Parts: sequence; structure tokens; C-alpha cells
Amino acid sequence: MKRRPLQSDFEREALPHLGALYAAALRMTRNEKDAEDLVQDALLRAYRFFDTFQAGTNCKAWLFRILTNVFCNRYREREREQVVLSEAESSPANLEQFLGGVGTDARDTETALLGQMVSGDVERALAAVPADFRMAVILSDLEDFSYKEIAEIMECPAGTVMSRLFRGRKILQGLLREYALEQGIIREPSATPSKDTNPADAPVDLAAYRRRRGQGEVS
Amino acid sequence: MTCAEVDTCVQTYVDGELAGVDREGVERHLVGCPACAGRVRLEARFKAAVRAHLPRPAVPAALRLRIEQTLASQPIAPLRWPWLSYPRLVPAAAALVLLVAITGTVRQSQSGLLEQAQRSYRAEMPMDITGSDCGSIASWFRGRLDFSMHAPALGGGATCQGGRLVNVGVHPAAYLIYRNPTGHRVAFLVFDPRDQSLEAPTRRVVNGREIYVDAGPGISTATYRDRGLGYVVTSDIDEDALTRLVTTSFGR
Repeated sequence: MKRRPLQSDFEREALPHLGALYAAALRMTRNEKDAEDLVQDALLRAYRFFDTFQAGTNCKAWLFRILTNVFCNRYREREREQVVLSEAESSPANLEQFLGGVGTDARDTETALLGQMVSGDVERALAAVPADFRMAVILSDLEDFSYKEIAEIMECPAGTVMSRLFRGRKILQGLLREYALEQGIIREPSATPSKDTNPADAPVDLAAYRRRRGQGEVS
Repeated sequence: MTCAEVDTCVQTYVDGELAGVDREGVERHLVGCPACAGRVRLEARFKAAVRAHLPRPAVPAALRLRIEQTLASQPIAPLRWPWLSYPRLVPAAAALVLLVAITGTVRQSQSGLLEQAQRSYRAEMPMDITGSDCGSIASWFRGRLDFSMHAPALGGGATCQGGRLVNVGVHPAAYLIYRNPTGHRVAFLVFDPRDQSLEAPTRRVVNGREIYVDAGPGISTATYRDRGLGYVVTSDIDEDALTRLVTTSFGR
């Protein structure tokens, strides 16, 4: 029979992730009080249900799943985010345009712009990304979870993870570009050649390539 | 691979999630295509830059202390049901002491009904009728269901929020949302239980009534029959609080 967990097991396995949980909670709730409540509720739930955690599996992913669940049940603000989403998505920005507004030498431009990014702006832009997309970006880019782990944490198919992640990043890039324009770091490109044949939110689909490969059209 | 094909999987590639022949296809293309190679480099640099600009904030010392104190004051993973059959006293809200006879684990499989209730709860479906008057919500359902329904009268200050007409199997059913004073949503799925088996992992007998309880880290579910109707109650409160809440509706 499985040994019942001890408080020391929980302290060893779960508490080291407190910093990651708090950081994610703060960026999801966007205020310190709610973040503290969220982390405390999620950790207490994890503690009460620690016997359902399979020792040897990824405790951080298990904790994030509980955090996400508590967040979704409590703090989701759908309507407000709907507005932000439509505004942010109406901007045509993608990464090339974000970086394509200045300079002559592409390498210098990248270095200048990525170097000009200010933490406060990135934080502000992330906060404006709708919750589901923001969560995907946090889990992937800040916490290094794999698509499969994110799918389990967010309880959705891997394809949904990819589209949330890509749209989240696109919105983030669009907002950062807006801030850079406002601050005069970049100028509105006068005549950017429109080579945007594949918007970032196009379905991510390798099927066509695989079909062609299957037919021997490509090596 | 063509540039357009590479374009659809640049982020997947940068995230290290592209494997096998797809990965090889991208890498072969990148060798001969400076434009795509530049895109890949940009995405990778953007990802790294976002991460570098979003460091982890420090955990407030007060929060850490509060968590440690809370954990120390509570048992870890308390037994949610004893394996032996014996009567057990459960401290209950508002001086209500419930006699709970536990008969152990009945069945591990989740019924479709539980899944439906939990999915509906998570989806926060829009309501057909909203309002805090339970009576007018119940009367909205009159003529829309093939059974007669009363909104369960809950104790503990829980208030009605709204209702939605749903289906359980092929029959119409009522989906009612309440909110308790601490702000938690409590959803009641009310249906004709004739062709439904009411099952959940744990069976409790409270005040002579059977309640099936399913507890998970996210949400808890309680299933029972009352006056010929079937009920599945879902909330993000724990299973003991949910059992107490459900019990307040009995015999009122």
C-alpha cells in the first residue's frame, strides 16, 4: 500500500515552487493581494490532496495545474478581456514589423530594439494579454513547461496550447511595438513591403508538408 | 520544406517542440535560407528577451510565513473517507452535526453525468435567465422541463444567480447557479433521474440520505436524489463544505 504523505514530503516537494507559483499568480491576477490569496488557496488545496500526487512525477506541473484551476474558477474576467483582445488583435503587428520599423542594418536593428525593451513595458504588455493566452506564455516562456505539460495544466489539447501561445506572443509583440512607437524608439514604417503571408495566428499545420513528403514531392 | 512551411513552425522549432523529420526538414531549409534563419533567430531572441525582462518577483515574507503556519496547523491529505465502515462525527456548520456513515469506495469510474456537470461548471456557460429571486428562476423553467422543479433552498446565505436550460441525455434539465457568501459559485444540475445511475467514487450517508461525492483538487461534486429528482452539485469549495451546503437544502 502507498505510504501516506508527510508534511515534510510536501515541504520538500512542493514548497520550493512557491516562487514560481507566486510569480505566475501575480502576473495572472495583476495585483499582490489576489496573487497572495491565489497562491495560498492553491497550496492549501495541494496540501490537502497531496496523497493524489504521484511521487516521482512532475510536482511543479501538478501545482501549476491546481493554481490554474483555482484561478479559472475565481478570477476570470471574460468580458473585459474580450475588449482588450479585439483591440490588440486588430493591430497588424508581427515580429518582423515590430523590428522592421527602423534602421538600415537588420542586425543593428534587432540589437537596438531588443536592447531598448524595458522591463516595465514588457510587464505592462504581458498584463494586457488575455488570460488564457497570458497563461500559455507564462508557462512556456517563463516556466519552461513543454506543450504537453501545458496541455495538462490548462486541461486543453496540445493544438489549443500552440494557438494560445502563438496568439499570446503575437499580442505581446504588437503591444511592445505600440509602446516603442509611442516612445519614439521606432517610427511607423513608411512603406513596409507586405510579406506577411502567414499571420502568427494562422493554424499551425504541418499536415500539408507531411502530405507532400508522403507523395515524394519533397525530400 | 518551403519558406511558407517553415514559417508555420518557427515558434514550434524555437520552443524545441519540433521532432524527427519535421525538425530535420526545418534545419535543412535554414542552412540555405538566410531569411528564415533570421526569423528563427529573431523569435529565439524575442523569447529570451521577454524572459530576461520578467524576473521572478520576491515572495512576500508575510505570505511565506502565513503558508507555513497554515500548513503546520492542518493535517496533510486528511483521510477523505475511512476504509472501515463506522459512524463518524463530522463537525458541521452552524451547530448542525451530521451523522455520516461511510460505506467505502463504491466505484472508481466517473459517470458521464459528473463529467457533464464539471465541464459545464468550468465553461461558465451563459445563463438563460438571471436574477437573485430563486422563485422566479424556477417558474421560468415551468413548461420547459418534463418534470416540476423547485430551486433548492440553500442555507448559509447562498443566493440564486441564474438558470439555463440544458439536456441530460435526451431529456431537458435545469442548470442553476448560486453564489455563497464567500463568492464561490455553486451549480445545481437538476434532472429526471429515471435512466441515470448516480455514482461517484465515494458514498456518504448523511441524515439518512445517500450522497455521492467526488473530490478533486479543482472542484468537488455531490450527487443525490431528492423527492424524485436527481441533483449533481458542483463547486470549487471542498467536498465537506459542499456536503454541508447540500444538506441544508434537505427537508426545507
